[in-house]
Amino acid sequence: MSLVNFTSREITCKIVYYGPGRSGKTTNLQYIYGRVPEDRRGRMVSLATQTDRTLFFDFLPLELGSISGFTTRFQLYTVPGQVYYNATRKLVLQGADGVVFVADSQIRQLDENIESLQNLQANLLEQGIDVRTIPLVLQYNKQDLPSDLILQVADLEEQLNFRMVPAFGASAVVGKGLFETLRAISERVLRKLSEAQPA
Amino acid sequence: MKARVVEPWLLAPVERFVRESGARLTMVMTPSGQVLAQYGFTRAVDVMSAAALGAGIAASTGEIVRMLDEPDFRVLNHQSAQHGIFLGRFDSRRGPLLGLVVYGEDTSIGLVQLFFEDFVADLEEAAPAETPRGPVLAADFERDLNESLATLFR
Repeated sequence: MSLVNFTSREITCKIVYYGPGRSGKTTNLQYIYGRVPEDRRGRMVSLATQTDRTLFFDFLPLELGSISGFTTRFQLYTVPGQVYYNATRKLVLQGADGVVFVADSQIRQLDENIESLQNLQANLLEQGIDVRTIPLVLQYNKQDLPSDLILQVADLEEQLNFRMVPAFGASAVVGKGLFETLRAISERVLRKLSEAQPA
Repeated sequence: MKARVVEPWLLAPVERFVRESGARLTMVMTPSGQVLAQYGFTRAVDVMSAAALGAGIAASTGEIVRMLDEPDFRVLNHQSAQHGIFLGRFDSRRGPLLGLVVYGEDTSIGLVQLFFEDFVADLEEAAPAETPRGPVLAADFERDLNESLATLFR
């Protein structure tokens, strides 16, 4: 849950990038890290294996600036995508204010996307969170690959976006669609803060 | 250097703990890595990184302990050449919380652990009941958000 410091007027929100293995979650954070001015970001922390696969999480703190008079900070996390890392996925998901689901647009990865989306729903439910109530945005990554290897955004929408949440085609390696994704999830997370909510 | 706290009731216990234990850095956070109070860090983004890692250590240790059917872990300590890192988990009226403490050669793990117990008791005594939260942001926050993100991705 987002943390609000009324004394110093600061807000801190936790956003988790979720999705199957090798879908581009870490690449999302690496690109953002590379683009954001140094004084607006912290060190990117990656708990990864020797082959650079995410083992526990990647973490990137961002300072958005002043929003409605509150200094607003986002904590961006990724989870490890591989099926057998579910225990660590659950830990990272704790206290998330919003989720970006990064899907792999490749045709052969469709089943993995669906399985990961179901896994997200199950892990949220285990924490008492209904996937319909948490801010969620979909990103269809790797849209830059040859068209015979990938599903188009409209097809992915039909297969994955049955909750009709905001969704964006993207190519994380060149940064396409990443800003739009971050903007959409930020807006949905902050929208919740502009509504009355229980403690 | 002064402690920075999210809610005023945290200030006195944190300052007393720092003074008595001789800790160089101290942080109180939720198990999901949200910082409630800190002393000694200079950059807010560094605080968040340390909190994320501390929460990760606590979460993974807690899971291993659970797999072993043991009671929740309470404290972890790592002694480096010049610094010690102490991580304590405790329950409070605000739910489970974590304390992350970095100390130097001018104090010891024994003192940190001793005063940490007092710190937990102080926090418990000072914590008021949680009150429902109203809307935080103005409804028209989008303009500020767009401007902030535009600056970020210039």
